[in-house]
Amino acid sequence: MFYRTAGQFKTTYRDDQALFPIRQDAVLVAVILILAWAVFPFIATEFAFQTLLIPILIYSLAALGLNVLTGYAGQLSLGTAAFMGVGAYACYKMLTIMPWLDPIVAILLSGFFSAGVGVMFGIPSLRIKGFYLAIATLAAQFFLVWLFEKWAWLYNYNASGAIQAPNITSVFSGGTYVSGPLATSFTQYYMVLGITTLLTILTINLTRGTLGRTWKATRDMDFAAELIGINLMRSKLSAFAVSSYIVGVAGALFVFMWRGAAEPNLFDIPLSFTILFIAIIGGLGSILGNYLGAILIVGLPVVLNTVPAALGLPLESAFVEHLNLMIVGGLIIFFLIVEPHGLARLWGLARQKLIVWPFPY
Amino acid sequence: MKHFTRLAAAALAVTVAATSAPAQETEELFVPNLAYRTGPFAATGIPLMNGQRDYAQMLNARDGGVGGVMLNFEECETGYNTQKGVECYEKTKGEAIVTQPWSTGITLQVLPKTNVDKIPVLAPGYGFSPMADGKVFQWAFNVPGSYWDAASMILKYISGGDLGSLNGKTIAFLHLDHPYGKEPLPFMEAMEKEHGFKLEPIPVGLKEMQNQSAQWLQIRRLRPDYVVMWGWGAMNAGAITEAVKTKFPMDKFVGVWWSSHDADLRIVGEKGKGYKAISFSRPVLDAPVLSDLEDYVYSKGDSLASEEERQGVFYNRGLVISMILTEAIATAQKHFDKAVIGPEDLRWGLENLNITDERLEELGMSGMVAPFSTSCGDHTGHSGGWILEWDGEKFVQASDHLTPDSEVIRPMEIAGAKAYAEENAPWPVNESCDAQAG
Repeated sequence: MFYRTAGQFKTTYRDDQALFPIRQDAVLVAVILILAWAVFPFIATEFAFQTLLIPILIYSLAALGLNVLTGYAGQLSLGTAAFMGVGAYACYKMLTIMPWLDPIVAILLSGFFSAGVGVMFGIPSLRIKGFYLAIATLAAQFFLVWLFEKWAWLYNYNASGAIQAPNITSVFSGGTYVSGPLATSFTQYYMVLGITTLLTILTINLTRGTLGRTWKATRDMDFAAELIGINLMRSKLSAFAVSSYIVGVAGALFVFMWRGAAEPNLFDIPLSFTILFIAIIGGLGSILGNYLGAILIVGLPVVLNTVPAALGLPLESAFVEHLNLMIVGGLIIFFLIVEPHGLARLWGLARQKLIVWPFPY
Repeated sequence: MKHFTRLAAAALAVTVAATSAPAQETEELFVPNLAYRTGPFAATGIPLMNGQRDYAQMLNARDGGVGGVMLNFEECETGYNTQKGVECYEKTKGEAIVTQPWSTGITLQVLPKTNVDKIPVLAPGYGFSPMADGKVFQWAFNVPGSYWDAASMILKYISGGDLGSLNGKTIAFLHLDHPYGKEPLPFMEAMEKEHGFKLEPIPVGLKEMQNQSAQWLQIRRLRPDYVVMWGWGAMNAGAITEAVKTKFPMDKFVGVWWSSHDADLRIVGEKGKGYKAISFSRPVLDAPVLSDLEDYVYSKGDSLASEEERQGVFYNRGLVISMILTEAIATAQKHFDKAVIGPEDLRWGLENLNITDERLEELGMSGMVAPFSTSCGDHTGHSGGWILEWDGEKFVQASDHLTPDSEVIRPMEIAGAKAYAEENAPWPVNESCDAQAG
């Protein structure tokens, strides 16, 4: 019904290889983009901006970065939060050393620092695999957070050891504040949305191209990939670089476009796990999955928290919090049992059913 | 279609929540508390939250709120998690007349936003010490004492009033490696330079809170004359048990006011005898306010606190904190001559607090906190405090009323506030204030 493909003929290879070979997909994406770009920002309250829209986008972007590495190239990483931290601290240092730098440019540049660090910690992946590699990235996680705590230069010798996003204007927002307390959520949302959209389009195309195919070959069987002439070193390290770049940008956005301040232990292992869970529950090796996962893990608890108050139930706040943990935890288990390959696969199956409906074969 | 409907449902639920919130607009004062009864710091949070909650409930039941308006004392659970805290702040700020962030991390996040949102932050005994400079931090209040006050009083106590006598001695500063634990360092370092003692900062990482054997090994090697502790949550109990295990003399061990939780000491009991902590509040178990609490709250079964908890330092500190808030509300009500006040009115109230001995007597809280007053330039009040000592079963007062060295602290606060304002430029400053006078 919704997905009738009858009448959509492909007459060229180009058409057949298009990003959205089925017209309904393109329409759906267009609707979502219109919602994100032109509808949500105008109906959202300050609360919705700060607890749903902006964080979901930033977490999705971080999960997207991790997915490039873990989902596409098959290299398990537990150090995502530390690489986010590298992005955030690099951005902070750049903006305090060079105050004339545009913050959006600084955020995009800060990704290169985390890409460098990512490649460095990716070198062991040439020799070790699987859980052993996970331990190597875990080392990155502990080492980098330790560094953020001990290297006082990173936080400009601030007495409390925290970094704060200064008030800075950007040409990209027409000269209004984009970071710091004076920035409006509206502006910050558009900046985050812009960068997230840009990086998502880039990643979609990367994963469809030569590089993406090399990564997938590496993931599926690395020595077979080597036998057909793929340079494993280049493939793995490029995955680490691209992944860490995206994660680093997400980290800079995390601090400058959302939180406004950060202390080192913000980038500790719980954040890494949250992002890994988003990627796994959303679906490894999928782009859409990151968004679905972030909606489930970041967005749903916030919405659930408002439900008892909206219904007028007089529940204690701590009780709601416990209930919330149980419901979200239950849902995660439910989704993983129903579809171990994640929400993106669930959506893929539903879509397939809709395409053949009403005559399933 | 699925994720689209989910998104739409999320958006719908939010708009429903947003539109249904103003429906409860009756005559009441919304004073939310960003509480934490879950998570790793819950054990220390619960008694404080219970104290605060019970005091507000008592006022509602006894006097019908403050100035005839009921208090809507609602908790928003943060689990001491900064992200959740910001979520709570965003959720409550529309209706609330105050925000009580209850964590240095959340205070840090909320502080710059309060200038824009125009809502006072009440952070009693925590947060940035330079918040005392009301000229710069117009919306933040850390009554009745800051961490620098606490550090100053501890040094005064261990030196017997003359800091010069510390010359040549070693003080180990055991602290949580977190903005909270680092907060007193600038002051301690300044004192180290001035008075010639040796300060040895020993950080305890968040992951090492429960196992501090490495830190205490270092302490044993250093043989410090005193250990000063800035601990929170599981770190306090960890340090105290480790001190007992390494046989560190307990009377040389002094903590900040957040390290004076009865349950942490009860683990070691008799062996913890002699442990001390500075405190701006003290439990007065025969205070008249407690019999009112008994009549209006406990006897009705409205309290979440246990009998044992109500005897503790933290629960009684919770009562004091709620008292400070409601006194500020009353002050503002009187000045503006209206019962339902807004956040900007409350800011005035917090800035013109005058808690005198007579007022404490009227409130039935004599001796639970030292008298203090705030002003436009001084948002702390610097009430001073007492040293409490663990006698094996409970904390008892072990010193006379101590006051911080305000002549030394004041210039540091002003300098700290100035640096903060510069870093966060453009930052609005209240030019009508004279910060020096504070």
